[in-house]
Amino acid sequence: MVILFRLLVFPGFLFLFFSAMLFDWVDRRVIARFQERVGPPWYQPFADFVKLLAKEDVLSTGAHATAASLLPVAALVAVLTAALYVPVGGIAVASFEGDLILVLFLLSVPAISYFLVGWISVGVYSVIGGNRSLLQYFSYEVPFLMALAAPAALSGTWSIARIVAYQGQTSWGLLMQPLGFILAMIGLVGKLKRDPLDIPKAKSEVIAGPLTEFSGRKLALWHLAMEMQTVVGIFLLVNLFVGDSRFFGWLPQLPVFGLKALALLVLLSMAAVLYARLRIDQLADLGWKILAPLALLQFVATLWIIGL
Amino acid sequence: MVQVLESLESRLRNWTQPVVRWARRKSPWILHFNSGGCNGCDIEILDTLTPRYDVERLGILKEACPRHADVLVVTGPVTRQTRDRLRRIYEQMAEPKWVVAVGSCSCSGGIFAGGHNVVGGVGEVLPVDLYIPGCPCRPEAIIDGIAKLLGKI
Ligand code: SF4
Repeated sequence: MVILFRLLVFPGFLFLFFSAMLFDWVDRRVIARFQERVGPPWYQPFADFVKLLAKEDVLSTGAHATAASLLPVAALVAVLTAALYVPVGGIAVASFEGDLILVLFLLSVPAISYFLVGWISVGVYSVIGGNRSLLQYFSYEVPFLMALAAPAALSGTWSIARIVAYQGQTSWGLLMQPLGFILAMIGLVGKLKRDPLDIPKAKSEVIAGPLTEFSGRKLALWHLAMEMQTVVGIFLLVNLFVGDSRFFGWLPQLPVFGLKALALLVLLSMAAVLYARLRIDQLADLGWKILAPLALLQFVATLWIIGL
Repeated sequence: MVQVLESLESRLRNWTQPVVRWARRKSPWILHFNSGGCNGCDIEILDTLTPRYDVERLGILKEACPRHADVLVVTGPVTRQTRDRLRRIYEQMAEPKWVVAVGSCSCSGGIFAGGHNVVGGVGEVLPVDLYIPGCPCRPEAIIDGIAKLLGKI
């Protein structure tokens, strides 16, 4: 009974769905406020979702029908499965030693399906967008993984819950590894294909990237998968870098966790407003010439500190 | 068995219909197409999308791709060159879809009516749901028109 509740309601599917909608709204609203606008009302993500669900589902000629309907489901399922292992305010559906590796692996499944869906939907823009998404994947993923491996190395465990517990004994990962936190945030922006790094779906260049040819239910599922990925990614970073809530000792865990997650989301929205989109070659340069060496440096420094 | 399922489905549809209609009213994504105007109306549409008028309050987003859009906003008279393209873009959009003609030209052909290369207003080619006259029409007029269209949905 408890496990079913956790799986379906909290911190499982329903909770994730509503946080995805909430995060989407907060994100759009914050961006709007930065542009001196009012922004959409709170029900906007729900309206968009329902409208897309009820729209006609067009498939272009030549596209692979089975793959087109399976790929968004695969992305969504991978994100939901990853969410099972990411604790929310200390509560996770499941956990084992090494769940961080599993979560990182599952979170890269949407990137692959995103590329594949561009490939099978034969449109020119889709294929270019798919190729770009793969190039982007190779640029951000290495620094991202190294930045997330550093807290694990520091606390000597691959279990997210134990990393949080380790921060409880020492202090926030953010304070111990500020560089790693910045790298992880940049990597997360790349992973979520959010604004400064939305190269695969740049509107003025490749229309909507791999999703150009999709409408209706499939598009709704893709949007949902992306928004849930935002939520899970942010929750993961909160756990790894600001996991300890001893500082707010007298407050209940859950609201504190939510506030931290919203703070990270606002950081992401600010980045989206402040920076213009990079070109794909600039991103590759940034990833391999700056971020990856920095991540390596940080990792080696961490190992050195452990050795002391 | 089949009958039971069918009646169940129609009942479900009756229940969800108000929600779906609400969602459509609250989230019209537009696609902008210039079928041969002088660019005046296009600039007014871009004005409408600027932070000053902030149409995202009404859930309006500008999409770049016909498949994602709900409302096709056409400016300018339909020329013989763009006629087939306009029709094809309309056909690429997913149902349900609406067409809005912005500017005198797209309503009737405007000052270009009768030209050797001009077919006429958008109404000659597509079923238009809403005409917004003006040369060019002000952003306020466009927002007012869109609001009326949303009321119709
Ligand atoms: S209505 Fe006027 S402003 Fe608009 S396209 Fe025609 S001539 Fe230009």
